Amino acid sequence: MILTPQIYVRIGLLLLAGVIFQVSFLSDLSFLGATPYILPVLVVCLGLLGGAVTGAVCGFAAGLLLDSALLQTLGVSSLVLLAAGYLAGRYRENFELSSPLIPPTLAAGLTLFASFVFGAIQLMLGIDAPVSLLILREIVLQTLLSFVLAVPLYPLVRWLLRPALIEDTERRRPRLPSAIGAR
Amino acid sequence: MYRKQVRRRRAVLVLLVVVSLVLLSTHFSEGSGGPLHGVQRVVATVLGPLEEGADRALKPVRDMFDWFGETFDARGENEELRDEVADLRERVAKAESAVGENKELRDLVQLGPAGGSQGREAVAARVIGRSPTVWYSTVTIDRGSSSGVDVNDPVITGDGLAGRITDTTSGTAEVTLITDHRSAVSAEVLPNGPSGVIKPEVGDPGELLLDFIEEDTEVDEGQMVVTSGWRAGHLTSLFPAGLEIGKVTEATVDEQETYQRVHVRPFVDLREMEIVQVLTEPGGADGQSRAATGDTG
Repeated sequence: MILTPQIYVRIGLLLLAGVIFQVSFLSDLSFLGATPYILPVLVVCLGLLGGAVTGAVCGFAAGLLLDSALLQTLGVSSLVLLAAGYLAGRYRENFELSSPLIPPTLAAGLTLFASFVFGAIQLMLGIDAPVSLLILREIVLQTLLSFVLAVPLYPLVRWLLRPALIEDTERRRPRLPSAIGAR
Repeated sequence: MYRKQVRRRRAVLVLLVVVSLVLLSTHFSEGSGGPLHGVQRVVATVLGPLEEGADRALKPVRDMFDWFGETFDARGENEELRDEVADLRERVAKAESAVGENKELRDLVQLGPAGGSQGREAVAARVIGRSPTVWYSTVTIDRGSSSGVDVNDPVITGDGLAGRITDTTSGTAEVTLITDHRSAVSAEVLPNGPSGVIKPEVGDPGELLLDFIEEDTEVDEGQMVVTSGWRAGHLTSLFPAGLEIGKVTEATVDEQETYQRVHVRPFVDLREMEIVQVLTEPGGADGQSRAATGDTG
């Protein structure tokens, strides 16, 4: 990804919009008892497009914004989302996105990973109440919802960041004739 | 060149992880007046109007989703509600008789009236934000310290107790709901039932547990659970007495446990509530000592 000040602003606004959309809208919805969680999906998309460092930094920033907006313990969401963004970026750096199903599958997988890590951190910080097994249902349903959310979100994020994407830049450059004298 | 990229990537990752861990441990261990909490409140203050604007703008879309869900649930709920209305009519008749007798007895011993809100002022607020995970059961409301809202103020809806205020900015406040793992409310079973502590079951927002009820105490399905509002010397409960919490759905006894597991269904639909009331202290909380134990939430 070619990072310019304009792209930094776009990514910043995207993360801010994602946090506000999550807190003020998506968290109020319930599908079979589970809440859609868009932030891991957004961070995975940014990691897939920008690489491991971009994914990690965006995950950290998104987590910090979320914890600040909800007055929760700082650092928990940052840790979880930066891990998800970094892993998505590492996948991008080592493998080709040969199928349109790979981004949603990765988003779902890393949301599952993030949910378990988040739960582990909460248990380490101390839970004063019994924990219901319904939490597992919530985690599984959130994972499925992440797959569904990633289907439109990845192309949307890609479109928003297209000036920074190297593959898209090459695609838009006019082709030169490959043989001397050809027109 | 490649090695440089790998070193840079690892350095950024390690730096971000270390910063996250430092933030986590510092924020967790410092008091609510610490510098990190202060910075967090500033950011929350800035984001508050954005959350409120987004909440209002997206309300029609949210209502459309809710309409679909409620239509599917309505049929089953209708039958249940008819039975509940019949039961409540009977209770209201008995309660009215008890109110009259209560007044008579109070007049006899010259006691003043006992209000459920104990002289508190109610500030109406709108829910503008909600935590996306089940590990935190909190909402953000659009009233803060500038409206007289203070930490530990109880939060109710028309159906009953919802939670308490745990943090404030000038324009917003965080409400920790009774389904949050940090919440514990002193409660009693009506009428003339035992007292215990209401705790949540993390991951199940439709279920609370009334703890510390001895196994030989009789608790029946359908009995109402309200806040007990205790007082011990200078210390008083965070919640006034008589705030409705929920209804007993089941009481089970485990052979190896000293206490029963009394399951309570909360009256308030915490996922759907949009408007709440904060019971604020008249003139603020200065000079009033509140318990830090027994009622942690």
